[in-house]
Amino acid sequence: MTSTSRALTVRWPLWLALAFLATFAALPLAVLAAQTVLGPDGFTFEAWRALLHDENLGRQAGATLQLGVAATAISLLLGGGHAWLTVGRDLPGASLLAPLGIAPLVLPPIFVAMGFSELMPASGFWPCAFLLGVAHAPFVAVLAARGLRATDGRAYESALLLRGRGRAETWLLRTIAPELLAGCLLAFLFTVADHGVPEFLTVKGKAWHTYAEGIMSRWARRAVGTTFAELQSPIVAALPFLAALGCLLWAALKLRADAPDRGVARPLPLRPLGGWRWPALLLPFAYLTAGVGVPVVVLARWALGSAQKREPMSLQYLQQSFAKAMDQCAVHLGNSVALAAATALLVLLLAVPLARRSGRSSPRLELASALPIAAPAILLGIGLVRAFHDSWLRALGNDFYSGFGFAACGYVARFLPFAALTLTGQVRRLPVAAEEAGALVARSPVVRAFRLHLQPLAPAAWTAWVMVFVLALRELDLAVILPAANATAVRRLANAVHYQHEDWSGVIALMLLSIAIVVPMLPSLIAGRRLASLS
Amino acid sequence: MSQPVTVTDLACQRGAFRLGPVAFDVAAGGRLAIVGPSGSGKTTLLRCIAGLERATSGTIRIGANVVADARTHVAPDRRGLGLVFQDGALWSHMTALQHLRFAAPKLAEADALALLARAGLESHARRKPATFSGGEAQRLGLLRALAPDPAVLLLDEPLRSVDVHQRATLVLLLRTLGDERGLTTILVTHDRDEALALATDLVVLDGGRVMERGPAVELLQRPATAFTAAFLLGAACLPTTVGPTGRIVTPFGEFDRPGGSAAALRLVLPPGSTIAAAAPAAHAGPGGRVLGCVPDAGSFRVQVAFEDQLLHSTAAAPLVVGSRASLSLRQAPWLLPWQPS
Repeated sequence: MTSTSRALTVRWPLWLALAFLATFAALPLAVLAAQTVLGPDGFTFEAWRALLHDENLGRQAGATLQLGVAATAISLLLGGGHAWLTVGRDLPGASLLAPLGIAPLVLPPIFVAMGFSELMPASGFWPCAFLLGVAHAPFVAVLAARGLRATDGRAYESALLLRGRGRAETWLLRTIAPELLAGCLLAFLFTVADHGVPEFLTVKGKAWHTYAEGIMSRWARRAVGTTFAELQSPIVAALPFLAALGCLLWAALKLRADAPDRGVARPLPLRPLGGWRWPALLLPFAYLTAGVGVPVVVLARWALGSAQKREPMSLQYLQQSFAKAMDQCAVHLGNSVALAAATALLVLLLAVPLARRSGRSSPRLELASALPIAAPAILLGIGLVRAFHDSWLRALGNDFYSGFGFAACGYVARFLPFAALTLTGQVRRLPVAAEEAGALVARSPVVRAFRLHLQPLAPAAWTAWVMVFVLALRELDLAVILPAANATAVRRLANAVHYQHEDWSGVIALMLLSIAIVVPMLPSLIAGRRLASLS
Repeated sequence: MSQPVTVTDLACQRGAFRLGPVAFDVAAGGRLAIVGPSGSGKTTLLRCIAGLERATSGTIRIGANVVADARTHVAPDRRGLGLVFQDGALWSHMTALQHLRFAAPKLAEADALALLARAGLESHARRKPATFSGGEAQRLGLLRALAPDPAVLLLDEPLRSVDVHQRATLVLLLRTLGDERGLTTILVTHDRDEALALATDLVVLDGGRVMERGPAVELLQRPATAFTAAFLLGAACLPTTVGPTGRIVTPFGEFDRPGGSAAALRLVLPPGSTIAAAAPAAHAGPGGRVLGCVPDAGSFRVQVAFEDQLLHSTAAAPLVVGSRASLSLRQAPWLLPWQPS
């Protein structure tokens, strides 16, 4: 962006977005860091030394890393494989299967875990890794598909002519490596930060502990009277972990930023699978069955009654389940939808100015706005509680902390990076010259900003809204911590299934799924437009 | 109403690249082309005039108004300029008609449609640029720049993304609409033919410095630097040495040093300034390998590889491609410095 167009840009939305990030993302983590290290009860060097020799903590950290790597490998196999086989391939039904790569993202990981725990004894390392790998594979699938679609077909054909099919495919794999790595990193971050699934499996199987679980279990015991240092230890240990994840995120973003703009001069040619054409269908089917089919079938089975009473499924039972669900959880469902919609809207308002600036003149801002992804939701939630629980707002008699506004702010801080990254990518794809042509037009800065800066972003903004809406609707970890978010449907479900309420839980889960699918599609169905790329 | 443009000692720093100081002026209704190779700073200069870049020093005047100097930087939309970008730089989400109505809010729809019709785009009025050819996109870019009735029209390599067949149409449209409105036009290009088709005066830039400026006819007939001769005429420029007698030694013989010149000189050979003939076996004079030979109005145009240069010579008889040709001068040679001292 030139100095002139910079001067024409309205600055206050950017400052607002930065202030928000500072208040609801940086401040909670900074408070957490300060409170655990500073003050008379602060963490001492002796405690650090003790922490290093804490076998339990070391085991949890090691187990979490192992879980992250294993689940990411499964995400890469399923998500990356799905994109590789369905984008620009002659796989039967590829055009139908390719957009379904994102489908498992609609389901909260806890639903996938619920589904599989009905079919098999789902506890221990590999089931947990598999479930989280399946649940987070859409990140890899979407980004890999984006990389494949952005590759210039002529460059692939050049490699094909020079070195043959095998080498051309290797070249293509190397070309999309930045997108694949970014997808894997997201899958890894979400896996190691997940608290709900390992906790669910622990209760079911009593066999598995993760790091996020360790943080949460100590945090949950804070009222019972454990020593302060003991309570601090997992959080203190989480801070270097967070820094390491931040560095990884920086590396992935840099890798993507340094990748040349490959343009879309010509899409990839249809790449034949030869004799593998039909057998290759197994992978997309396995991925979609595990990510969507099994959980949906199991939830339907719960709702229809055969899970608890071992009776044949019946519509009459479904009616009873529905009535119970409405009685027990209608308010929570409404809360979930309202919170997700408000979160998605607020995220958009803040992400647009961030994306405009980071896409045009400040690439480092992209990293700053993406960093909250690196913080496990459970840690961010605890930080928000620590920073705002005894805040001056409460002293003034304002119950901001307990209200939905606070929960929405927490959700926005958590999901802002997704919208910011999506919109930044779109801003980079828009030609600078077209905006400069607008700078010569004698129109007010507001009209110019709306018509020339915001209007071209509309498809990507809608995609970002959908993504954040779905992610917020399925968020469990923050819902466990933030007071108002306790009254959301996913949180209620996570509790209910522990108390043998599978019947109405199944109904609520299916309703959540329907909302996650139908609401984002409504404008698309009405206007007849397709969703833009999700990266 | 057209306005003169005056640029005085303009300099602009853009990373490691420094443009200027540059000075020139264009009379009201005049047509100037800024030419030079890629990276010479011509687009930076045009962007400074448009206000899209801030000049480090110097002054830009449009008419009587100073639009840029040490303390002033008038916003691009207040300079009364139209700019046609290299590849159109159209707004992908707007139709052709919306482009014109957004650029000129006071333009009535009927007038906008009439303007589109002038460029043969009436059938594209309700279409978005994604479906336009390169030539159509560039015509719409031109109409967008002209719609608000600017005093000065800036053109940034307007024919670059246009195929050969559409170039003539676009040149004609640019000249017709520009002449009708008496527009002051400043064009940036690295294409000599484009410059000569659209401008009467030239500024030659290289490495951010002005090599030469003046009427196009004068620069073509008698360039003052070897760089200009090479760039505008496609002349071969051979290095020379100074002999013990102070004369200039070239592969074509020794020549007197032109009066007053102390700089290192090049032997400048414009196309047609040498004669090629089949070289006898024992030929020891200047010569080279024939790369091509085509008939041309009673004689032949011959391309000859001479040292590390490509010479465009004439020949009375056809020469075999790949054979050796002897070369001789057809006219008194130009001995010019590479750049102004």
